[in-house]
Amino acid sequence: MTEISLEALSPKREQPVPGEPENWRRFFSFSTDHKVIGIQYIVVAFVFFLIGGFLAMIIRGELITPEADLVDRTVYNALFTMHGTIMLFMWTFPVLNGLANYLVPLQIGARDMAFPRLNAVAFWMVPVFGVILMASFLVPGGPSQSGWWAYPPVSLQNPTGNLINGQFLWILAVALSGISSIMGAVNIVTTIIRMRAPGMTFFKMPVFCWAVMAAQTIQLFGLPALTAGAVMLLFDLSVGTSFFDPATGGDPVLYQHFFWFYSHPAVYVIILPVFGVFSELFPVYARKPLFGYKFVAVSSFVITGLSAIVWVHHMFASGTPGWMRMLFMASTMLISVPTGVKIFAWVATIWGGKIKLSTPMLFALGGLVNFLFAGITGIMLAAVPFDIHVNNTYFVVGHFHYVIYGAAVMGIYAAIYHWFPKMTGRMYYEGLGKLHFVLTFVGVNLNFLPMHPAGLMGMPRRVASYDPEFAYWNVLASLGGFLLGVSTLPFLLNMISSWILGEKAPANPWRAIGLEWLVSSPPPHENFAVIPTVVSEPYGYGKNEPLIASQMASTELTSELS
Amino acid sequence: MNLRLILKLAAIAGVMTAISLWVGQLAYTWMPVPASEEALLVDHLFSFLTTLGTFIFLGVAGTLLYSVLFQRAAKYDEGDGPPIEGNLTLEIVWTAIPLVLVIWIAGYSYRIYDEMNILGPMEHMHGGAAIAAPLTLAQATDAPEAPEAPEIIEVHARQWVWEFYYPVANVTSTELHLPNHRRAKLTLTSEDVLHGFFVPAFRVKQDVIPGRSIDFEFTPIREGTYRLRDSQYSGTYFAAMQANVVVESPDDYQQWLTDVAALSPQPGLNPSYDEYQVKVENRDNRPGWKTVEPAPYPLVNYSGAPVLPER
Amino acid sequence: MSSVNLDQSLNSAATVHAADHHEEGEHRLFGFIVFLLSESVIFLSFFVGYIVYKTSATDWLPAGVEGLEVREPFINTIVLVSSSFVIYIAERYLHKENLWGFRAFWLLTMAMGSFFLYGQAVEWMGLDFGFTDGLFGGTFYLLTGFHGLHVLTGVLLQGIMLGRSFIPGNYDDGEVGVAATSLFWHFVDVIWIILFILIYVWQ
Ligand code: HEA
Ligand code: HEA
Ligand code: CUA
Ligand SMILES: [Cu+2]
Repeated sequence: MTEISLEALSPKREQPVPGEPENWRRFFSFSTDHKVIGIQYIVVAFVFFLIGGFLAMIIRGELITPEADLVDRTVYNALFTMHGTIMLFMWTFPVLNGLANYLVPLQIGARDMAFPRLNAVAFWMVPVFGVILMASFLVPGGPSQSGWWAYPPVSLQNPTGNLINGQFLWILAVALSGISSIMGAVNIVTTIIRMRAPGMTFFKMPVFCWAVMAAQTIQLFGLPALTAGAVMLLFDLSVGTSFFDPATGGDPVLYQHFFWFYSHPAVYVIILPVFGVFSELFPVYARKPLFGYKFVAVSSFVITGLSAIVWVHHMFASGTPGWMRMLFMASTMLISVPTGVKIFAWVATIWGGKIKLSTPMLFALGGLVNFLFAGITGIMLAAVPFDIHVNNTYFVVGHFHYVIYGAAVMGIYAAIYHWFPKMTGRMYYEGLGKLHFVLTFVGVNLNFLPMHPAGLMGMPRRVASYDPEFAYWNVLASLGGFLLGVSTLPFLLNMISSWILGEKAPANPWRAIGLEWLVSSPPPHENFAVIPTVVSEPYGYGKNEPLIASQMASTELTSELS
Repeated sequence: MNLRLILKLAAIAGVMTAISLWVGQLAYTWMPVPASEEALLVDHLFSFLTTLGTFIFLGVAGTLLYSVLFQRAAKYDEGDGPPIEGNLTLEIVWTAIPLVLVIWIAGYSYRIYDEMNILGPMEHMHGGAAIAAPLTLAQATDAPEAPEAPEIIEVHARQWVWEFYYPVANVTSTELHLPNHRRAKLTLTSEDVLHGFFVPAFRVKQDVIPGRSIDFEFTPIREGTYRLRDSQYSGTYFAAMQANVVVESPDDYQQWLTDVAALSPQPGLNPSYDEYQVKVENRDNRPGWKTVEPAPYPLVNYSGAPVLPER
Repeated sequence: MSSVNLDQSLNSAATVHAADHHEEGEHRLFGFIVFLLSESVIFLSFFVGYIVYKTSATDWLPAGVEGLEVREPFINTIVLVSSSFVIYIAERYLHKENLWGFRAFWLLTMAMGSFFLYGQAVEWMGLDFGFTDGLFGGTFYLLTGFHGLHVLTGVLLQGIMLGRSFIPGNYDDGEVGVAATSLFWHFVDVIWIILFILIYVWQ
């Protein structure tokens, strides 16, 4: 532990000028302001999203015809390995950490995160391991070609024989990503547990914070297991130990357990904050309180708990005995219970409301429907006899892109639009936003729905070439993929132009309830001149009750501040 | 009024049930032609899951759609909706319903699994164990015949070619031949990395793990040629690691074994090695990285034809 | 809820910061505990790996290796475990604001930790199998090495805290660094006890 000195923490603390014109250069500096770090995370992650998406475009280009004709097979294998790795470790985790960084202190009424400097260090590791991962395109053997699971023995094969090879850099990058994520998790959990404003008990805390805390708890218990596996893999690869190499008595299946013990829960690290976003947005745009707030809040932690005991469903066709298959089938299916609680609560929130279909709401609704579909295919996958048939086929690829793109990425878009005025002090363009939504929603379904029939017919994943019987579905998928590529253009255009030219945003453009909407847009340096005292539950739509103590005296505070 | 609501809901539920059952029947057609007893069971399960899944999807998405279409705020309406915060009965009901559904789905899946009697890679069938195992469909149908000693076929996987060895006839091939309506008993081994034994038409799959020998069983029920695909990613030429599976009548099968036993060993099919040669001889100049070298052509009695099975 | 005790009437920036700073310390200790819990999962994973290997491997010990000598490591264990008590005494002295008592026992802890490291180094030198000698060699060096790294970190942290005790007034308003270091030391100790049982006792 390093002591964080007082001076380092508060260079500008003396002048919290609301909405002061901000200097763009601070986004390129080692800032310790959680709001700056949050935006840094989001922007850097989005750059990697474009890179990972670009690789996906080449993948879909290759797959539009049955033959392996666009790129060499080694290149194809490197492409999907890097695509999966970038998308998970350098897009979803960082962007969600960015949202959490930006929103959590504001929503709980704190001036910053518990450890601002640790926060900055954790962020700055992202570009570092990003560059390391990218650098693997330049080493002699090329990047890792063993898929994002890096299953041994393939991941140990190292045909060039170099010590510094793509797989080595891959492990290094993933390990650094893990360290950065653990730093982030310690910080966020500490912040939420210890820095809430007076009066904000756990059951007055917004669901987004609940969900983030549940997600970060997973990082804390899951990542160390992955790290342990990665360390052993690294020694096998570089030093010649025999942990996972069957040629010298090792056990490759043990690696799979290490890997999935983390990487299954990791999918809930991704989806839980998105659930949080849904829970924040539906009440605002349906003008109703969140239905069953406490149930929704607690169900996140039920998911966290269950997530630790289902990992073997990724290994049903691997070296897994029958009793384990049945046990993990049951535990996996149980996840639908707490998830169902959330889904039904959102539907009940929307039901009978006064719905406004602005861009964030559209993305949230689209994400919800996609998630529903993906959750149902997930339950199918959990049924062992069926999973045996579709395991490692495009059915699985379809399932997880529906969750990850259809629900998570769309939920992230929803969050970015919803809090864009808060973050930048500008309004985005509604028309471009709606165009973005239509392209994304059509693209997702055109891209990922055809993957299901292809998988049912028996098309394996990770193939550069396939039998012509699958061609039809792949052409559709590729067209959808390209459409998704195009869909990023209106988004980029919207974000950049409205950040520069957009209309100035008031403190609370959506008439939303929450501490973050009580401060100016963008919020001043220390967020709150006076730490508010929270007096009621969140989501008091239609109840006309004050959220914080000072509003009891003057409900006009909101407008004064803006 | 209340009665009308109930009738309306019942009507909606009826329509949804009808649609779900119909989609559940459609689900059979999304699968390849079932060519094993296991396939029939899996298809039933899939149809069941699809029926239930469709119902849930329609129920939830339909409700959402209704809200979105008919419960929109008027253009200048800045007001709030009714401040309903929850309803304990509802909460409990919709926690209980998924729980019941899950128990149902898991129970049904378990039954199917039990009937399929898939051998887990940990359960080696040796001698007496086979008798102790629950009666399988295959054993049930074949019961009248004398329980012959199981004819085991060895499946060898290596980067990136399949090779099959029939110990009774001392025959090797790069095309898998199986007698129809007989329980196929395979031993899966790998010489290098993980591979996966996957025949979509049979709905069976098992990772092949180096350093282990895995017993695997299923029962083909339909004559024809099918595709065996590698299902566990195994490196550069993974996609090319496929082979044909021929299911023929037991007589034809025996005939094939004796015919082939007389043939002298010749290079078997090995598409990945063919492709590698193209690369080595620089007839393909797309940039790529160094790869693990494919295993050379295995010497086999019978190679099979390099044609895709008809669909 | 500790975050609630922020005084309502805080309005001058200076008092805000003083309160923040005091809270900071408690946050840090809390954060550190969270980190330790997470860290323990790495060890847990290694332990599980070890148990799986040991119970399933066909040839566990490398050819020519009989097993491990227990006597020296046992002495080492005694020293490391007792150092947990010593560091506790040091902490008590600090509480009573007896800086020299603190330093003396703190130094003794460091000495005991270093003795442990030295003992382990000697043991490693004397072994006739290496890191790459099968699963036994691999897991043995992985576990003891990873733990040794933690002991080394602990001793270094203790060194830093000792140095800081000479900065006047440094430990006036709390001793989070000392508390954290001592906590870390107990953690390293507990891990060692499990490790010792797994590797040396269960042969
Ligand atoms: C954000 C990501 C995310 C999320 C949230 C999920 C959610 C779920 N996933 Fe998915 N999954 C992935 C990402 C995700 N998954 C990825 C990336 C892979 C592949 C990795 C790889 O191989 O590379 C994968 C693979 C994967 C497999 C392995 C398949 C295989 O390789 O053979 C399985 C198997 O059980 C599975 C199941 C589930 C289940 C049961 C859920 C559940 O959480 C879903 C729960 C939701 C619902 C069920 C819907 C709502 C509920 C109701 C409306 C209540 C009523 C419903 C019922 C009673 C059914 N997933
Ligand atoms: C967050 C996670 C995430 C996201 C968002 C995506 C997004 C996409 N993914 Fe994928 N994907 C994974 C995670 C993700 N994926 C994982 C984990 C795997 C498994 C890997 C493995 O098997 O190991 C996988 C595998 C995978 C496969 C299977 C490969 C195989 O098995 O052989 C395919 C095939 O179609 C695919 C396609 C796509 C497509 C078309 C998109 C599209 O949605 C992308 C849309 C495109 C963009 C958004 C970018 C647009 C950019 C431009 C047009 C150019 C700009 C360029 C620059 C600035 C450089 N992905
Ligand atoms: Cu061959 Cu996988
Ligand atoms: Cu999973």
